[in-house]
Amino acid sequence: MSGNCTRTSGRPLSTQHSVLSTSGYPDESMTIRDHIRFTINGREKSVGGRAAFLTLANYLREQGATGTKVVCAEGDCGACSVLVRHGSGDFMVVNSCIQSLLQLDGCSIVTVEGIADGDSLHPVQQSMIDHYGSQCGYCTPGFVVAMAGLTEAGQPLDEQAVKDGLTGNLCRCTGYEPIVKAALATNAAAAPRLRDRYPGIEDDHRSVLIEADGRAFFAPISLGEAIRFKRDHATATILQGGTDVGVWVNKRDFNAPAMLSLAKINELGEISFEESRIVVGANVSLTEFEAAVRDTIPELHGILRIFGSPQIKNAGTLVGNIANGSPIADTLPYLFVAGAELELAGAGGIRRVPVERFYRGYKTFDLNPDEIITRVVVPVVTTKADRVLRLYKVSRRTDLDISAFTAAILLRVDEGRIAAAKIAYGGVAPVVMRMPKLEAFLAGKRLEPETFEEAGAIARGEVSPISDVRGSREYRLQLCENILQKFYFDAFTEPVPIEIAGFRVGQAFQPVPDGPAGKPVLHQGRP
Amino acid sequence: MTAVERKIPHDSAREHVTGEAVYVDDMPPSRGELIVDFLWSPVAHGRIRRLDVEPARNIAGVVALFTHGDLAHNRFGPSQIQDELLIAEDEVRFIGQPVVVIAAENREAVRAAKAAIRLDIDPLPPVFTIDEAKARRDFIGPVRKIARGDVATAFAHAEHVLQGVFKTGGVDQFYLESQAAIAWPGEKGALTVHSSTQNPTEVQDVVAHLLGLPAHKVVVITKRLGGGFGGKECQATHPAAMAALVAHKLKRPARIAYSKDDDMRVTGGRHPFQNDYRVAFTSEGIITAVKVDLYSDGGAFADLSQAVMARAMTHTDNAYWIPNIEITGTVCRTNFPPNTAFRGFGGPQGVSTMENMIEEISLFLHKDPLEIRMRNCYGIEERNTTPYGQIVANNQLPRLMRDIGERADFRRRTAAVADFNAKSKTHLRGIACSAVKFGISFNTKFLNQANALVNVYLDGTVQVSTGATEMGQGVNTKIKQVVAAELGIDAGLVIVMATSTEKNNNTSATAASSGADMNGSAAADACRRIRARLVEVAARELAARTEDLQPSPSTIAIANGMAFDRRRPQHGIAWRDLVRAAYLQRVSLGERGFYATAGLDWNAEKSSGSPFLYFTNGCAVSEVLIDRFTGSARVLRSDLLMDIGKSINPGIDRGQITGAFFQGLGWLTNEEKRYAPTGELLTYSPTTYKVPNIQDLPQVFNVDWIENDTNTLNLRSSKAVGEPPLLLAISVYCAIKNALSFVSGSEIPKIDAPCTGEEILMRLTEYARKNARKPQESAASA
Repeated sequence: MSGNCTRTSGRPLSTQHSVLSTSGYPDESMTIRDHIRFTINGREKSVGGRAAFLTLANYLREQGATGTKVVCAEGDCGACSVLVRHGSGDFMVVNSCIQSLLQLDGCSIVTVEGIADGDSLHPVQQSMIDHYGSQCGYCTPGFVVAMAGLTEAGQPLDEQAVKDGLTGNLCRCTGYEPIVKAALATNAAAAPRLRDRYPGIEDDHRSVLIEADGRAFFAPISLGEAIRFKRDHATATILQGGTDVGVWVNKRDFNAPAMLSLAKINELGEISFEESRIVVGANVSLTEFEAAVRDTIPELHGILRIFGSPQIKNAGTLVGNIANGSPIADTLPYLFVAGAELELAGAGGIRRVPVERFYRGYKTFDLNPDEIITRVVVPVVTTKADRVLRLYKVSRRTDLDISAFTAAILLRVDEGRIAAAKIAYGGVAPVVMRMPKLEAFLAGKRLEPETFEEAGAIARGEVSPISDVRGSREYRLQLCENILQKFYFDAFTEPVPIEIAGFRVGQAFQPVPDGPAGKPVLHQGRP
Repeated sequence: MTAVERKIPHDSAREHVTGEAVYVDDMPPSRGELIVDFLWSPVAHGRIRRLDVEPARNIAGVVALFTHGDLAHNRFGPSQIQDELLIAEDEVRFIGQPVVVIAAENREAVRAAKAAIRLDIDPLPPVFTIDEAKARRDFIGPVRKIARGDVATAFAHAEHVLQGVFKTGGVDQFYLESQAAIAWPGEKGALTVHSSTQNPTEVQDVVAHLLGLPAHKVVVITKRLGGGFGGKECQATHPAAMAALVAHKLKRPARIAYSKDDDMRVTGGRHPFQNDYRVAFTSEGIITAVKVDLYSDGGAFADLSQAVMARAMTHTDNAYWIPNIEITGTVCRTNFPPNTAFRGFGGPQGVSTMENMIEEISLFLHKDPLEIRMRNCYGIEERNTTPYGQIVANNQLPRLMRDIGERADFRRRTAAVADFNAKSKTHLRGIACSAVKFGISFNTKFLNQANALVNVYLDGTVQVSTGATEMGQGVNTKIKQVVAAELGIDAGLVIVMATSTEKNNNTSATAASSGADMNGSAAADACRRIRARLVEVAARELAARTEDLQPSPSTIAIANGMAFDRRRPQHGIAWRDLVRAAYLQRVSLGERGFYATAGLDWNAEKSSGSPFLYFTNGCAVSEVLIDRFTGSARVLRSDLLMDIGKSINPGIDRGQITGAFFQGLGWLTNEEKRYAPTGELLTYSPTTYKVPNIQDLPQVFNVDWIENDTNTLNLRSSKAVGEPPLLLAISVYCAIKNALSFVSGSEIPKIDAPCTGEEILMRLTEYARKNARKPQESAASA
């Protein structure tokens, strides 16, 4: 069924009555589709006009597929989780409440209704039943979908993989333990592959332009078209992962007159490793980026692991995290101290700007109206013999929480002294900031605890955080101080080992046996 | 094989995992259905100067706008204090209070209507804290008191006295399914309301009252809830009443479904408490006197605050016998949404106050906290009367305390924690135990009744209907098992139907952990009477088929789907044939059962009596790890051990324990409501309001219960389990306090709940500063 969509009603743009028609876009392929096409549980759909601007979750529910629940409508609870496969890629779990249908051209989508094969339940479903993984059932479709996605690789699941894979799903009833047990009891190797049952859709290499109610959405297949569109629609919103835009739509009635997606520009989906740097295209998801830095920049990988849920990381992009410009964007402190650069493409050509200089103030950027961020050049900076890097993210809840405070601390050390320091803090100013006074203070100082205690006072004096819902000013000031001491002990001392019940943290999970009044059974989690 | 004491899956598990399970807002729209929403007060306290809805009337898609004058009555409330208004009149009392009910064809029209309505409010001074309300003496209902012994004399002669203020915060229920209802108009002015409520009868009563309808014209149906946790005990009524108003006035189907954001902003949650405590004790750690003044933040209206306070007061003693004790309870009126039921219902706030005192005694005396608990624990034969006069019968607490100490290896690990804290410069560990004794029954005596309808069909299948609402807790599964066990058939033959006021009238809320106890007992009562009739039929049938056998009902048994005479067990009659025979003999195959909890006695005015049928008990040990530099804490290990009697379904009950513990964990650690100075809630979505996540699972998590088949007072010797384990999370609070004691020098550490990372870091910083400033002083006092 895939690659067999026959609807070809797309006409040359110039013949259409269009909000764009005055600018006359020459189109390389000579045809532009006025609708998007995708499959839901194997059934082909094509949607144009007003309906294309719906979120996937609302579309599904309007179609009567109400297994998908909307709870928070902002990608923080996972009740709306669905699996999405772009072309021939793997199924990835995303939050359908903040995915616009516009983003799903060429996708194969599987909802909770498509997990079972007729009356034959998927093994994760049977396991959830057997292990009491559902109570009220409202979060359950999201868990089942995410869990089915985890089994797609056919690899056995350990406790850490299960927890990381289900971090984006909230349950208020079970205390999660039954769900973890259900996932661990699933034989992933024996699970049927959804990717076999639901093939991908072949790309027809055509741009998509959808107009309705005075709004336009354009997803060109070439960068040139994108830049021309941006030139003519300076206020156009770029819709990539949609993890922010989707929230604005749901919560602030956001209604952009013009939206541009780069998703169909294949070259921007590339990630390339060059000498001591990684070049990341605008379409590269945070999940792909996380995988890319796993071995190259383990410190950054550690932050990306707790950055957000799989749902968010599968949809969101590194460029999106940068372009959003939040003072607590989790990747920014690293990008600041590592000296990352952005590639900006505009009508006048391509230029590069250091990430650090890209931010001019709270959500204001060194970016011309016709420019698009096309790539990030990420230098590989990691701990070596003479160099120490640590990244920190402090939030109310360790996982899937927006930070109250972030930091990147990079020291070059030489014979017990600090040769040079690069430090960036987030959450203490309208933008992520380098700490020049602190860096100057540290340069030349001895590597000893007193240095970092004294540095705390310097750090405190260099910032002026505000109190907000994520933390008070005083809390943030204290973190500015303490993080330096934490850094010293993390980087230069041995931790006192923590033993729990004689088991070292990280040992294999032992499932709890059935029945009342069994022997107490220990299970182990992550360090 | 009986259908009880077995792990059969949750009744709806298959529908849950396939997405087939239908919740209110999943129901397909019916013809002409309207969207209902409301404009609320953006001001915490004020007087409405002008309300002009006219500009909204002409908006395309807006069908009607209703204000308080459109109701037959506007005043209601779940307690005797009928102080609540569905729609504000002249004064607004909290942000989120409905002012105009909007009926529209679509959501865009609702939004436009909200923007067009002109609402001007003259602000009045708001009250946002318990202290402000105390200063103004602005209370809801009377101040209650429980007292025993001679507190004044005991304090006067005390060896040691500790005192302080203990605060716990407000919490959102955060049920995943937000409040929702659909109302359909019917003939003769009748209404059918589908409501996600824990209390269909209350919805029926309030809808009928507010619309001026007789009760028999309002049918309320509840198929299932996507979580309730107390939040839909009273406050599901408001959306249902608004939908009903629209359906009644416009004769069109009407649907209301709160967004999560709105739900969190306009509904109440767990009561914040701020308790003044004073405790006298001997050098051996024996408590001689306790004086506790409990103050709760009731919000703007009474709701269930008085009942919540009664439970807090009757749980402040917790597991401990205290000879001289005085507990007062005062509900403060503030300008927040009315706080309401939340799993535990005041119990957690009372129990945590006592557990905090015990922890402080052990820190003060440098004695083992488990030992202090055992010394003060209620006795088996003596020292076993609560301050309000109830005997703690069938007391398993001493056994639980002894067992948890062994199972959790408490004393060895206490030493390991101290050793670690002496060595580690980066982290602190803390370990603590806590106990819970939780009274089962509604304090309000008349609520302890239930009825059930059991219909047996000609093919032998069975439908059961009760007043219990299924909200995930598995009550339908347990009732199904009980009915199957009573009738001697397989549970697969039994279906528990949607809860409806049409089938079960005048029911109580599914609350107070009592759903399975009471509704299961009522269903069992119906089954026993059906069974008695079927036994007569079986006796006749078997005698007719068997030579030399006289009918003898007393020797008939029904088990495993067969009826047989014990004298000739080889001759049986299958259940289905027995049912058919009964029908042909014109014997009734339906029955209504009734249950009223026996032996309860509670005088609310005097706060004395025996309000509870029995107690569910438990003990826990938890260990935490705190980052000294960031204040971030996580639970390393928790051991929970409970007495839940004979479990009807161990799988369901285990899930109740783990789930309740996690809700308690959220309450005491990361769930914090933050407000703007205007009283506006800032933490109204999971982005800013942090319920526990899967990564918050303790790294070692042992959940177990003891064998106890002696609770014969209750259905199949089981015990209620919904709320009590929530209170075991108090062990986590105590463990954080224990960790802080390693850095607080000579003083007993103080920390308010929730113990967020920020709160912990502030305490760590405070103690570091104090101890850096005056090392000599603290050395001298130690």
